[in-house]
Amino acid sequence: MGALVWHDLARFISITASVYAVWSGFFGIFYRKFFWDFVGGTLRDPGGLQPSPAASVFIMLIVKTPVIQISAMIQGLLILALEFPIPVFKALSVYRSFPMRIVLLFFQAFSCVLYYQGTNAALYSLIAIFCYTQALMRGEEMEEAKANRGKGGQA
Amino acid sequence: MAPASYFARALVFPLVAGYALFFYNRPVFFLSSASLGWPTFPSCLINPMAPTAASPVTNVVHWTQREFLTGKRLLFNILFYGAHVGLFAYGWYSQATNKRLAALNALTWSVWTSRGAGLVLALDGGLILIPMLRNIIRVVRPKLTWLFPADENIWFHRQVAYSMAFWSMVHTTAHYVNFINVERTQVRKQIALQIHYTQPGGITGHFMLLIMVLMYATAHQKIRNQCFEAFWYTHHLAFFFMLGLYTHATGCFVRDSVDPDYIGTFPFYSTEHCLGYLSWRYIIWPGIIYFGERVYREVRARRATRLSKVLVHPSGAMELRIVKPSFKYVSGQWLFIQIPDISSLQWHPFTITSAPEDPYVSVHIRQVGDWTKGLGERLGVGPSVVAQMTAAAMKGSEKDRDLGNITRGDFFEIDAKVSLPAVRLDGPYGAPAEDVFNAEVAVLVGAGIGVTPFASILKHIWYRQRRGNLGSLRRVEFFWVCRDAPSFGWFQSLLQEVEAAQADPNFLRINIYLTQKISEDMLWNITVNDVGGAYDPLTLLRSRTMFGRPDWMNIYGQMRQAIESGQYIAGAKSQLRTKVATYFCGPSAIAHALKDATLQNTNSAVEFTLAKEHF
Repeated sequence: MGALVWHDLARFISITASVYAVWSGFFGIFYRKFFWDFVGGTLRDPGGLQPSPAASVFIMLIVKTPVIQISAMIQGLLILALEFPIPVFKALSVYRSFPMRIVLLFFQAFSCVLYYQGTNAALYSLIAIFCYTQALMRGEEMEEAKANRGKGGQA
Repeated sequence: MAPASYFARALVFPLVAGYALFFYNRPVFFLSSASLGWPTFPSCLINPMAPTAASPVTNVVHWTQREFLTGKRLLFNILFYGAHVGLFAYGWYSQATNKRLAALNALTWSVWTSRGAGLVLALDGGLILIPMLRNIIRVVRPKLTWLFPADENIWFHRQVAYSMAFWSMVHTTAHYVNFINVERTQVRKQIALQIHYTQPGGITGHFMLLIMVLMYATAHQKIRNQCFEAFWYTHHLAFFFMLGLYTHATGCFVRDSVDPDYIGTFPFYSTEHCLGYLSWRYIIWPGIIYFGERVYREVRARRATRLSKVLVHPSGAMELRIVKPSFKYVSGQWLFIQIPDISSLQWHPFTITSAPEDPYVSVHIRQVGDWTKGLGERLGVGPSVVAQMTAAAMKGSEKDRDLGNITRGDFFEIDAKVSLPAVRLDGPYGAPAEDVFNAEVAVLVGAGIGVTPFASILKHIWYRQRRGNLGSLRRVEFFWVCRDAPSFGWFQSLLQEVEAAQADPNFLRINIYLTQKISEDMLWNITVNDVGGAYDPLTLLRSRTMFGRPDWMNIYGQMRQAIESGQYIAGAKSQLRTKVATYFCGPSAIAHALKDATLQNTNSAVEFTLAKEHF
């Protein structure tokens, strides 16, 4: 009971969003589709939606070569490495920065919202951003990692 | 001070100090230290280099063994995951071989996967609420303890939830592939996003995923400990989740016709052409029963209840004595309490500390969180008042002893001027300790505030002892692992009463472990005061306090040897297997240590069992 520590909650949602981003990016490589292709697209039978020529940049980056999917996967893995964290990051002071997480999650959300499989990952990233912003506004701080002085909680 | 006693102390002091230092690195075990009457110092107090932690590899091995490979757990894993995999295979097979769904089967593996995983999720959706049917579990539990550990209901709820998260991932991934292929092949004249965001299946699915993210994230132990309300309120999204689950397959998604075959009467689709598994017809029942239970709990909570007395103990614990004639319980159970003056929505779980024989229901509440502090303020004994009281009590105790007065657990009753708030009770709910009387030896282990259920059980044992009605219970070992001295306060008067009432010195043994780091001054102080005293200087009990964490492996090993050699229970040698039931309430680190100790020491002569209560 007591006060909710927003950045702890944000961490769990950020991990969920990033795992989703990695998984969706992975499937996005095999089933390539620009999420917003219905805007001005035409439906062909068979063949599905043919995006409008105005979206050719995204078709290049998502359908012809899965650049955005791969970058979403990399960003997801980076955020996971930061959130869990891997020991290298744990010692860095930037590890405890909320603004950096918000920026990373924002880029992840932006990448994910572009391809078909990534929309939920984008939505969860935005929720994580909301929670980190709450943490920032409430002046929460992340504790510095403790030096390893033996294991606690062993009865 | 009289000169004689002064000299006695001056003489005894170096001797005691010498002994204390001589014994300092002796392992802490209960049989000998209790019989010697010596306070046993843990090695960690004096020798900081004492090795304690096991290597990570052995920890992982232990963890795997404990979580997956022991007895009932192994059987559970085989049945639970076997059922899941089997159902997945069946769902896959029945889709793949259904001639009427040939059009959909053109989507190949992804549709088989989504249908198989969908069926598994239906099972999980049907199971997830069953462990939450608290009242039904309380009634069913005593009859079914041999079959499944019903008191592990939250654990089971979590296993179902983990399984649900995994299969949701499988199901959703497969559907993303399905819909993109539907769009490309135009097997139905739709685009993928129409299926995702305009049809019932897609909409409810995405909503359920979002609700799961929020519910799982706030249900993490860390968040629950920080802010129980965040968990509690978010978890009520389950209502919408269940609605989404039951309606997920409406819209005649799995069909052999071109268009959905809707009809005008319930359930608004015809089973002629809508060929889904129709699983909602089966899995909706736990949901309906759960809803009924929540209504019943509300009705029951509104029955006449009166807060008759509030006692405040110097340690800061408030004892609420409540009279509710319609409330029937057995010792070891717990209840939910609501005080509308503080919050009309929150229900807080507390262990019942009175025995069923008492004319009232009591709970002990420590002021640690928002709600409990709010209650303290409402009763005019907020944290600041309690701090003063504790300080006064600590001082008073010094004087008391000189006056030969041996009580410290003095409490005072809340002034009648303060109007007592209205309370509502919901419960009782089961806890494993209610079947203490079925074992020959009961080992009761309470850690910190986790000692509360044992207040009720010890009182109840005491009442039954007076009536000469102890069942098969021959001995009781009571362990209390506790960090600091002041929290002994309120429990002490009860323990004194129970200890004093013992005619057979071997029936009840009280073992108290103080795990706080003790300053050197205090150490000497205890040593000096302890000598020759009939009562322990800290607890004022005849049983001596031990210092440091108990070594469970050693304790259980000694107990097993004592039972095997027939010393522990008179005449037990010819008996069949002796049953030693451990009941634990407290943090999980100790629970794991206890579990390991019980597993390792069980053999053909002695059976150790462990039941733990969860917070």
